[in-house]
Amino acid sequence: MSDPLLSIRNLSIDYVGATSDFHAVKNVSFDIARGEFFGLAGESGCGKSTIAFAISRLHRPPAIIRKGSQIVLDGRDVLTLDDAELRQLRWREVAMVFQSAMNSLNPVLTIEDQFHDVLKTHTGMSRSAARARAAELLALVDIAADRLSAYPHQLSGGMRQRVVIAMCLALNPKLLIMDEPTTALDVVVQREILERIHKLRQELGFAVLFITHDLALMVQVSDRIGIMLEGELVEVNDAQAIYRSPQHDYTRKLWASMPRLGGERAGEGAAS
Amino acid sequence: MAFLLRRLAFYLAAFIAAATINFFLPRVMPGDPIQIMFAGAGSDLSLENLNALKLTFGFIDAPLGEQYLAYLKSVFTGDLGRSIRFFPLPVTELLARALIWTVGLVGLATLVSFALGTLLGVMAAWRRGTLLDTVVSLSSIFSSSVPAVVVSLIVLFTFGYTLGWFPNGYAANPMLDPGWTWEYVSSVLYHGTLPMLTMVLVLTGGFAVTMRNNMINLLGEDYIVMGRAKGLADRRVMLWYAARNALLPTVSALAISLGAVLGGSLIIEVVFNYPGMGNTLYQAILARDYPVIQGELLIMTAAMLTANFIVDLSYVLLDPRLKKA
Amino acid sequence: MDLFSQLLRNRKALIGVTILLVVVLLAVFAPLLTDYLPTQRVGRPHQPPSGDHLLGTTRLGYDVFTRLLYGARVSLAVGFGAGLLITVIGTVLGIIAGYKGGVVDEVISFFTNMILVIPNLPLLLVLAAFIGQASPLVIAIILGFTSWAWGVRVTRSETMSIRQRDFVKSAEMLGESQWRIMAFEIFPNLISIVGINFIGSVIFAVISEATLEFLGLGDPNTVSWGIMLYNAQNSSALSVGAWWDILTPCIALATLGLGLALINFAIDEIANPRLRTGGMLLRWAGLIRRGEGTL
Repeated sequence: MSDPLLSIRNLSIDYVGATSDFHAVKNVSFDIARGEFFGLAGESGCGKSTIAFAISRLHRPPAIIRKGSQIVLDGRDVLTLDDAELRQLRWREVAMVFQSAMNSLNPVLTIEDQFHDVLKTHTGMSRSAARARAAELLALVDIAADRLSAYPHQLSGGMRQRVVIAMCLALNPKLLIMDEPTTALDVVVQREILERIHKLRQELGFAVLFITHDLALMVQVSDRIGIMLEGELVEVNDAQAIYRSPQHDYTRKLWASMPRLGGERAGEGAAS
Repeated sequence: MAFLLRRLAFYLAAFIAAATINFFLPRVMPGDPIQIMFAGAGSDLSLENLNALKLTFGFIDAPLGEQYLAYLKSVFTGDLGRSIRFFPLPVTELLARALIWTVGLVGLATLVSFALGTLLGVMAAWRRGTLLDTVVSLSSIFSSSVPAVVVSLIVLFTFGYTLGWFPNGYAANPMLDPGWTWEYVSSVLYHGTLPMLTMVLVLTGGFAVTMRNNMINLLGEDYIVMGRAKGLADRRVMLWYAARNALLPTVSALAISLGAVLGGSLIIEVVFNYPGMGNTLYQAILARDYPVIQGELLIMTAAMLTANFIVDLSYVLLDPRLKKA
Repeated sequence: MDLFSQLLRNRKALIGVTILLVVVLLAVFAPLLTDYLPTQRVGRPHQPPSGDHLLGTTRLGYDVFTRLLYGARVSLAVGFGAGLLITVIGTVLGIIAGYKGGVVDEVISFFTNMILVIPNLPLLLVLAAFIGQASPLVIAIILGFTSWAWGVRVTRSETMSIRQRDFVKSAEMLGESQWRIMAFEIFPNLISIVGINFIGSVIFAVISEATLEFLGLGDPNTVSWGIMLYNAQNSSALSVGAWWDILTPCIALATLGLGLALINFAIDEIANPRLRTGGMLLRWAGLIRRGEGTL
């Protein structure tokens, strides 16, 4: 791929223990193109969230990103940045929607405060300018501006999810990471969120790193998909290729384990 | 609002419980309750004064239920009887003076310790695993295991007697007249230093470790990670995302520890001969001045309840989830 | 048991247990360690520490070291005795309130909260004043019956979170009686909370006994660390410079308290691994320093 937005090379992440280390991510490499929708699938504990956290370097001890790893975002290796540069990069270049967005909002600050602090930190906007911008962003996700003075506990779960998405787009990031954003929601809401993201992508042109264990869902929305197993990236390909002609044993097993109502079985389009 | 009203009702019940304890204590101890209560009076007490006192404390010629109501009536009309030792000084007057000293010392010391302790706790949690964290944790262990009496004695011994830097007792120089003169006020501050220091030493560690543990318990929460992911300054996340949320259970812990705070202040006042509520109670016990002893229990309970209520108020102010429209 | 083996490996616990053991041994072997009796005049008043009297003498000429050793017996006995009583009452009420819920819970919680909000030490003082000179046994009983409230709160909230767990629900469905469930399903899972509560209660009892005796509410004929403080204070040990008289019980109390507190912090750390200091973090820090990786 020429001029990828995100280029990960030889990424290895361990969790340090008292006597031995747990290898959460083992030598993973992949690219994400600008504006691409990239899905990262795998079962719980396979390391996908660990990779997501590493991109903004959000890990805390005892996690450690091993020497030799490279995470190049828009030409800069994130792992070599100092604290100030890192803080500048966060939210401006890459924003993240966490697994249960309901808990991602600070319970003691109003929605407006939580927009304001990120806008002020990065752009030095005044209160009133920040309020206007926040209202604009909430409109993108169909939330009325009067909700700005509310506290998170006063909003429903779905609304909080949408507020978080709006907040993510505040600085027009190039990459939006979504870590199992729909797992805690029912299928109807899931669909709505994904359609919304699709529309916003068309408007604003950001790339998405979408993490989930739901392979079937991913195939419908992703451009390319990576399959992870126990810390290793075992297969990367276009969504349709993953669907029709999975190359790796594990991918095939994933498809085989899924109950089908009828029609062609996944992976049976080509010779096994 | 409903929350605060419920708390008030509860405090009222607790106050009545304290009064009930007062009512039953002389009556369940072996011996004649009136003898026990007023024996120390001696010849100072004329018959009509003794009868007035008996009425106040419910020792009337009537069934127990009526006695109880009579006593409650006295309590709620502010009549706590008169001191046997300092007859005819009303108990309320005696305690009012002492209360001012205690509220000053304990109030100020608690505020300082809470502020200092929570700040140390915040920093220790944010800089996990560093020297600061270890020092804070260990000194908190000392703080919770060494009794107030021991700390007071050691502070008095070191700074009062051995080094002679500070006076050994009293709220102010007994030669001075009380008043808002610089001389008197500075004397108050000078005399108050060692008791304040002791209280701060005793209290800070507990607050520090509580705040540290509360912070650590919520450092894995999603909103903290999101705060960092937003690229906010480290200090902002530490204060406004972590500490501000950890403050809630820490303030709860403050409410629970108020009993121990009051108890500790009692000892400190006795050791430093500070004329507060604690010392007054102690002197009353030595002199078997039962009206004062009983009055103290009520006033101290009332003080505790008031302090608890103030903490409840701050809790409501701090936690938006309680501020229902 | 898993908790014990982890405790043995924890440095804080080791130091704490060692201190405790030393104090217990000193108390038990007191007669072997000193020739004097605690209420025997063996020297001149307020003699400083010397070869004959390791920690000097009191105003009445008693040997301070001897009183320290024999006094340990009383302080330990009251501490553990009252501590046990406090813990038993608190745990039983807490489990019942937490498991049964409903009216039982409301009643127990109401009384518990009321007792919590009445200041503890003043209440103890008032009780002791009405009782007169309280022997260590009486003190232990008063402490036991007035100070269980904190334990109820803590045990109750733990019980409430455990009772939702699957193994409790399956025991209920199998028809086990409530008492059996509380004793054999719930209680074993509360061991660390009960342990912390117990040690905390012991610390509290030791401190309270010493405090009550220091204030003159104890029986002056007993030999305990609190009475030693009382005697030292009354004989103006501080102003005459007899530091050994007053500092000995002070340091003894502080040391015992410290040992117990260390054990408690250790149990807390094991039960809640997030609170630990050191350990894997040290190894992590080492790796970062050597440039093996970054966050």
